[in-house]
Amino acid sequence: MIFSELYCAYYNTVAAIISRIIKGGCSEKDLQQIVRGRAFGESALTIIPSLKNEKWQLIHDDMTTPLTHQPTMPLTVMQKRWLKAISLDPRMKLFGVKFPDLDDIEPLFTPEDYCIYDQYSDGDPYEDEGYIRQFRVVLQAIREKSQIKFEMTNRRGNTMFVRCRPLRLEYSEKDDKFRVITVGNRFVSTVNLARMRSCVLDHGKQQLYGGESEIKYETVTVRILDERNALERFMLHFAHFEKQAEKLDEKHYLVKIRYDRRDESEMVIRILSFGPMAEVIDSDAFRNLIMEKLKKQKSCGLK
Amino acid sequence: MSSYSELIKNFEKIRAYMREFYIYGFKSREDYQTKSARSYDDERRRIESWLGNHMSFVRTAEGKNVFISIDSRTIRHNPFYHAWKAKSFTDRDITLHFILFDILHEPTIKRTVSGLLSEIDGKYLCGFENPMVFDESTVRKKLKEYCESGIIIAEKEGRKVYYHRTEDVDLSALSDILHYFSEAAPCGVIGSFLLDKSEAKTEVFTFKHHYITGAMDSGVLAALFTAMREKRTVTVTNCSQQKNLRIQIRLVPLRIFISAQSGRQHLISYVPSKNRFSSYRIDYLSDIKIEEPTPRFDELRAELDRMQNKIWGVSVKKNKWKIQNTEHVEFTVRIEEGEDYIVRRLEREKRIGKVERLDAYTYRFSADVYDTSELMPWIRTFICRIVQMNFSEKAHENRFKEDLKEMYRMYGIGEEEDE
Repeated sequence: MIFSELYCAYYNTVAAIISRIIKGGCSEKDLQQIVRGRAFGESALTIIPSLKNEKWQLIHDDMTTPLTHQPTMPLTVMQKRWLKAISLDPRMKLFGVKFPDLDDIEPLFTPEDYCIYDQYSDGDPYEDEGYIRQFRVVLQAIREKSQIKFEMTNRRGNTMFVRCRPLRLEYSEKDDKFRVITVGNRFVSTVNLARMRSCVLDHGKQQLYGGESEIKYETVTVRILDERNALERFMLHFAHFEKQAEKLDEKHYLVKIRYDRRDESEMVIRILSFGPMAEVIDSDAFRNLIMEKLKKQKSCGLK
Repeated sequence: MSSYSELIKNFEKIRAYMREFYIYGFKSREDYQTKSARSYDDERRRIESWLGNHMSFVRTAEGKNVFISIDSRTIRHNPFYHAWKAKSFTDRDITLHFILFDILHEPTIKRTVSGLLSEIDGKYLCGFENPMVFDESTVRKKLKEYCESGIIIAEKEGRKVYYHRTEDVDLSALSDILHYFSEAAPCGVIGSFLLDKSEAKTEVFTFKHHYITGAMDSGVLAALFTAMREKRTVTVTNCSQQKNLRIQIRLVPLRIFISAQSGRQHLISYVPSKNRFSSYRIDYLSDIKIEEPTPRFDELRAELDRMQNKIWGVSVKKNKWKIQNTEHVEFTVRIEEGEDYIVRRLEREKRIGKVERLDAYTYRFSADVYDTSELMPWIRTFICRIVQMNFSEKAHENRFKEDLKEMYRMYGIGEEEDE
């Protein structure tokens, strides 16, 4: 069972408070800070009074505790079963970490128990030694805030030598690829990890050029005709964007979606996939992109 | 009348609200007619408390609409996991929990129930003004719960039962692994529980095309995985949104099908009473009751393996055991100079289909599937280059072409020529 008080934010917060008191010198302000950092918006209204009023008999009113050890809790069977399950994932090799011994634990699931059926088939080569090595170099550089240098082939087929600082790794489940988000190079801000070659840490002089490039957002407004369960499919399909929906009448809805301008081509075909159930209302530029596709289709002679 | 609390006893109710706020977000307070106004206010306040600035409001003629709006690319940890960390408990639960683990602070320390009771009273509670009193059965019950969770072990020595904590697992080297898999693996919320145990901040990964709603179904998923691992039958409640019906079904869960492109998760199962394979939306399932093991599990799973090269998405369309009807889907696209990326798209997105090169500019996709309708949205993404179609199910082919005509009409395509 995963809905249990053992995983409750309140339990974690109280553990942190007791730890702090045992270490000594815990003020009211410290208490507030621990609660803010570990629990929810209104938790301070419950946790602090419950401890101070001895509803939870763990702390005396003079801010001492009868407990003598830093509170810890062993892993539950469910936590161990999940750990065992992820230890079977081929991507685990990327991290090069010795995994805890869980020999006597049954995994919660195995790769046989689920499939991602619409993932693209040209995902990253997780078993490839060179790829694994580069992944680890990039990970280390992110942690240490170091620069890396590598080679890659650009879209025109030319070899580029790149020096930059990786900020983070962005994973797309759909593409099954890692991309490296970087700063410090005017020509390269996002690189597919699998396209990098000969990647090493670069301890040379830190490059000064620029910060992270700011994402330029656009908004597309779509009118949904709720037939063939289109509304639910559309809202789920675009659930990972910032969006706002409005009901127009019993059958029609208006949805505004904010997207990264660089993903416009992808957005066009994703909206096209809904056929006549999704009509782009705004912007005109986006609507024109759809119209261009339709005009071209009309000239294809499909009978 | 009970007062408001951020914490909840039952996850099902909040699961429905969070889904409504996140997926739809256009309903006003009055639209939640099936629930009381007080219940709506409490749930909204709780979600606001857990999700903070991810909640938005808009005023319309119908009233104030509350919705959750998150660009999942900009967050590092799924905020919906907070809901799983809001299980309520009693004052006595939390007090006893911390005292028990303070006494049993090392795996080598063992106590009987009576030993624990005397320490609880004599060392921990005696200093409080109105000390709680724990009787033997309360402590025994809590220890039994903890034994089932795997955090305490009971050992019999002679006639006495001793309790001690289980060995800790060192997670210190796993922060990045836990961060990545808590977002990228099924039931990732459990990884988030593990991250909560550590002080280390992990910010290395972000996620694109990241559907975070699945988090709300983690409990159902964990129960189904458990049943599959133990090769057991389950009884589930399926709440069909379209028919608005709640139906109990006994089935053999065989595999979870996850979509990376639509955010939906399905269970493919075998329903013995109908001698049929069926798929169910995970977010429509609840009340999973794990029942007896089935000797047919391996045979059914092997049959699903064979069927999978005819399943485009999740539809097994009324396929009875060993009786399968397939449909043929075929379409041809024409590409232009410099559009090799379209061929690459066809190759990487073809799944169980086949792509043939007819000439330098023409490529044909074909597949035999259980359900043609599942391919329609994908085929539409090739609009602007489809030159031929041939579906064995003519109704679907005609529907596709009618839809195209409707889109031409919607966008006024061809009207210029007609004038």
